[in-house]
Amino acid sequence: MAAKGRVVIAGVATRWGSELARALERDPEVGEIIGIDTAPPKIDLERTEFLEADIRNPVISRILPGLEPDVVVHCGVIWYPEAGQPSRALHDINVIGTLQLLAACDKCDSLKALVVRGSAAIYGSTPGAPSFLTEDMARRYPLKTRFQRDIGELEGYFDSFGRRHPDITCCMLRFQYELGPGLDNPLSRYLTLPVVPTQLGYDPRLQPLHALDATGALTAATLNPVRGAVNVAPDGAISLSRLLRLAGKPAIGVPPVISSLVLKGLGGFLGSADLSQDGELLMRWGRGCDNRRLREEIGYELAFDSEGTARDFAQKESGLRSLFPSPHPGSPVRSIRR
Amino acid sequence: MSQVEQVREWASLAQGATECIMRRMTGEYHEDEWGFDEEFAEAVFPVMDFLYRVWWRVRTTGVTNVPGHGRALLVGNHSGAVFPFDGAMVGAAIQKEHPLPRWARALILNWTLAQPGVSYLLRRTGGVAANPANLTRLLEQDQLAMVFPEGAKGFGKSFSERYRLQRFGRGGFVEVALETGTPIVPVAVVGGEEIYPKLGELSALAKIVGAPYVPITPTFPLLGPLGLLPLPSRWRIEFLEPIDLSGYGPGASQDRSLVFDLSERVRETIQEALYRGLVERGPAFL
Repeated sequence: MAAKGRVVIAGVATRWGSELARALERDPEVGEIIGIDTAPPKIDLERTEFLEADIRNPVISRILPGLEPDVVVHCGVIWYPEAGQPSRALHDINVIGTLQLLAACDKCDSLKALVVRGSAAIYGSTPGAPSFLTEDMARRYPLKTRFQRDIGELEGYFDSFGRRHPDITCCMLRFQYELGPGLDNPLSRYLTLPVVPTQLGYDPRLQPLHALDATGALTAATLNPVRGAVNVAPDGAISLSRLLRLAGKPAIGVPPVISSLVLKGLGGFLGSADLSQDGELLMRWGRGCDNRRLREEIGYELAFDSEGTARDFAQKESGLRSLFPSPHPGSPVRSIRR
Repeated sequence: MSQVEQVREWASLAQGATECIMRRMTGEYHEDEWGFDEEFAEAVFPVMDFLYRVWWRVRTTGVTNVPGHGRALLVGNHSGAVFPFDGAMVGAAIQKEHPLPRWARALILNWTLAQPGVSYLLRRTGGVAANPANLTRLLEQDQLAMVFPEGAKGFGKSFSERYRLQRFGRGGFVEVALETGTPIVPVAVVGGEEIYPKLGELSALAKIVGAPYVPITPTFPLLGPLGLLPLPSRWRIEFLEPIDLSGYGPGASQDRSLVFDLSERVRETIQEALYRGLVERGPAFL
């Protein structure tokens, strides 16, 4: 289904909401774009109408139907505490906000598609998990952290909404952790510490999603939503140790018993890198997702694979790199032994 | 060879090693999507080679039953109560004896993958978590996969039960092989049971550390870490005739009785080969 006409973006002031609005503005086939959030977007948007409203407030049920949206994109799912959004507020924003937004969508007769920017955290991070989780494998493992449980609850509401409205295309996007130039999140702050504490004896497989692909996939899914869940993850995977080596970052192994304390303490000391429980599990067990649905059904071509994202990040964050230049810059060289 | 030439050769060796280390330190090496690092596997191979040639004096037969390319599934008996080395030795046998050597990708028990250190060593040398999704994906990529369907029951059985094959799980490996049209190559490993003769278990300790079991062998935990040294038994590895499943078609994986039949057939084939191999080998250590 090609979605045109009126698009409502909930959570337009978040980075991804703003980027989506900017990308949609460039598409002449998209009619009106209306952004909802509690604060105006931080970037200048040309033809996006901004509407100040809080999706946690029941008033949204009276506002949204009046906008007569064809597509609603929910970008207001927050992954980690940011300035002005303490961790306690996350549950409210993610679960209650989504619940209210879905209740409002119930009353929109014009609605053709609903896209939610969710998280691959629904799969958890488990040692014995499939290396490439497919969309039907959610909830196979117990949800351990608060954020995982929030995402689980949110997907529960989403599923029941989808069952109530078989005529609306409901698309749940499960994003892997983003990494990219200019992106400031706990993962990038962690990876740019002068010395990176890793969990001794563990080397997780990661799939860092490039920021450009994160926006690109969200835009593609808004224009061509498909029913059900879709993983948004890059091709391949890269281990944390190799990522750090590419970035020229010295790593120091910390015994797992105290790694949580160290990550918190060090992060607090440097004012940056609190990874939260979710990030700690990810940095121990890793997680890999299968992206065939994204590529084949939504039809989005990823610009970066996992290694490419890591290299792009390394290039921009080069620290020790200038001191110890790679003997073979730019090319993944195979053995040079004779 | 003149002295100058020799010095030159040493210099170039040293340069090669330095370049290799620099390359590793800067992350300029290849790692596949599963985390398999072929260069690393090659670097630790001398250890496996020593165990294969000197320590266990492995004799391998029928290695050409393993296809040189395309998908194939190795199915073996599992043994070695402390560290099951049979997977590594089957892999080494293919590396050393096969005309077209290739890396066997082992499917590893979840509990093992949760252990610090072990998990990434296994992953870098080609191990993946044992589940049908991973096996299917590996075979669809035309890789050589290796499973031990007995799982922990196999390598955790006591010494008196040695070479008696345990139940083959739920036959999940047959289902995947049928779905992907993969030939099954049964492998019989003789010798793995004597490296750590398991006499008993410390069940209370196992409960505390969350392990499936903590074994008692003649040397472990009596001699402490030294008890982890495997005994130098004599090994035989036999690769058996491949079982072609492509004739059944992908729908056949739904047929439970067929799946159990095939699973049992593979099990019996390996069991017979084990008895044969034991007679051929003779005494375990000499």
